Amino acid sequence: MTARGTASRFLSSVLQNGVGRYVCQLKRVSIIFSKNAQSSLGVREFIEEGVVDYAKKNPATVVYVSPQSCRIPKIVAEYLNGNVREELVTSKTSPQISELLTKLTNQSGLDIIRIRKPFHTDNPSIQGQWHPFTNRAPSIGPIRPQNQDAE
Amino acid sequence: MASGYILNRGVLTLGIHCQRVCRNVSLSQVREKKRWMKAYTYLMAKKLKLEGPPPPKPRSQKPHWDYHAEVQAFSSRLHENFSLELLKTAFINPCYLQAELRRRQGLGVDSEITALVLKDNIQLSERGVSFTKSFLSDWCRASFPILPRDGVESVVRHLASSAVVTDVARNLGIEDLTMSADCPVPDDVLHSTFMAVIGALTESSGAEKTGLFLRDFLGTQLIGKDLFDMWTVVDPMGLLVEELTKRSVPLPEPRLIRSAGASTVLPLYFVGLYSDQKLLAQGPGETLVAAEEEAARVALRVLYGYAENHRPLDFSPLQQHQQPLIQSISGN
Repeated sequence: MTARGTASRFLSSVLQNGVGRYVCQLKRVSIIFSKNAQSSLGVREFIEEGVVDYAKKNPATVVYVSPQSCRIPKIVAEYLNGNVREELVTSKTSPQISELLTKLTNQSGLDIIRIRKPFHTDNPSIQGQWHPFTNRAPSIGPIRPQNQDAE
Repeated sequence: MASGYILNRGVLTLGIHCQRVCRNVSLSQVREKKRWMKAYTYLMAKKLKLEGPPPPKPRSQKPHWDYHAEVQAFSSRLHENFSLELLKTAFINPCYLQAELRRRQGLGVDSEITALVLKDNIQLSERGVSFTKSFLSDWCRASFPILPRDGVESVVRHLASSAVVTDVARNLGIEDLTMSADCPVPDDVLHSTFMAVIGALTESSGAEKTGLFLRDFLGTQLIGKDLFDMWTVVDPMGLLVEELTKRSVPLPEPRLIRSAGASTVLPLYFVGLYSDQKLLAQGPGETLVAAEEEAARVALRVLYGYAENHRPLDFSPLQQHQQPLIQSISGN
């Protein structure tokens, strides 16, 4: 698909985050895994090693750990703007999961789609929108249709 | 013996064959082929079409919800030290209390044995509203010292309006924690909850911290906002004349400085305002009147220091460590 056909947005933040103070946008993380499935081996290891450290380091995020009988372990992240992201962590190792959680924590929760430019301003033009008088000295006189000069 | 066995086998395979050809679904169940699935999904799709999507459920009724942990995380997310008791009170709306009482009566629970001991947030909300009003008007007056009283009032009204406050509250995750009777929390309930949170913050951390909180979350909503989007001025030319007479500057004189396409459907006029033969401002418009009004607005924005290119407002955190640093340098 071409770039024009895909969904896109401008670079933005939730509630001008970071202008006043930084608010961690990840509000809730649920880690869903199985107690005995092979595919959740890494998740179980992560829960033994790293999840308490993660929760202590990020007091702004509520971490729920729920063992269920499931084949596909997943991480469900809920953001302040209401978006929910599900990440499947089938047969991932503990460091990989920790990396993934860090990534989810640092994200803003806005849709992950193509960003048109790596910068954005609300006032794109300093001199204003172009009009027929832009850069035209007032002494030149009024603007007339072009064919008048030719006749 | 052997012939009997072969005959038996032949009959068996024939039976299986018959079953496969047979049209009845329940009789011809084949392993790993879910023939019931198509009918089931069709039925579910039809049900969804008839009944519409199910009503939204509050987050607290979905799995994985620990209210105490959520409130604590809310407090530390905003980098504030709320007293948790007050914060929990701030989330309880009177409409929730009434709905809960009604629900208990409907279930036949005796109200004397299991009394509902919860305080609602009316007092906190009132306190928050008054504090927000007073702080925001002080802050606006300090940030835009030249803006007249009407302008400051309308800016404050915009910032404390339901639309802005509910937007902020939704994006701070207050909606999930709010105890309300209806499920998508109505705007007025969300507004009063946000104000109650402000009231709780005033009581637990004092006025200065609450001021910073308001500046960081409501004040930042001013970024990129035009003054006259918030402040409806019907007659900007009259206001400009008034302002200029106050400053004893000669009155503005509108002049048509440029025009194009006067006889077309898209005419363009530029009106410049001259005061004492100096250009105050110029503005475009489709008619002469509109252009003059626009020029007056541009002139007013410049006068009040609220033009698009004004100095950005200061949202930096208070620097408490600066004072001792200076002292130690001077001490050395």
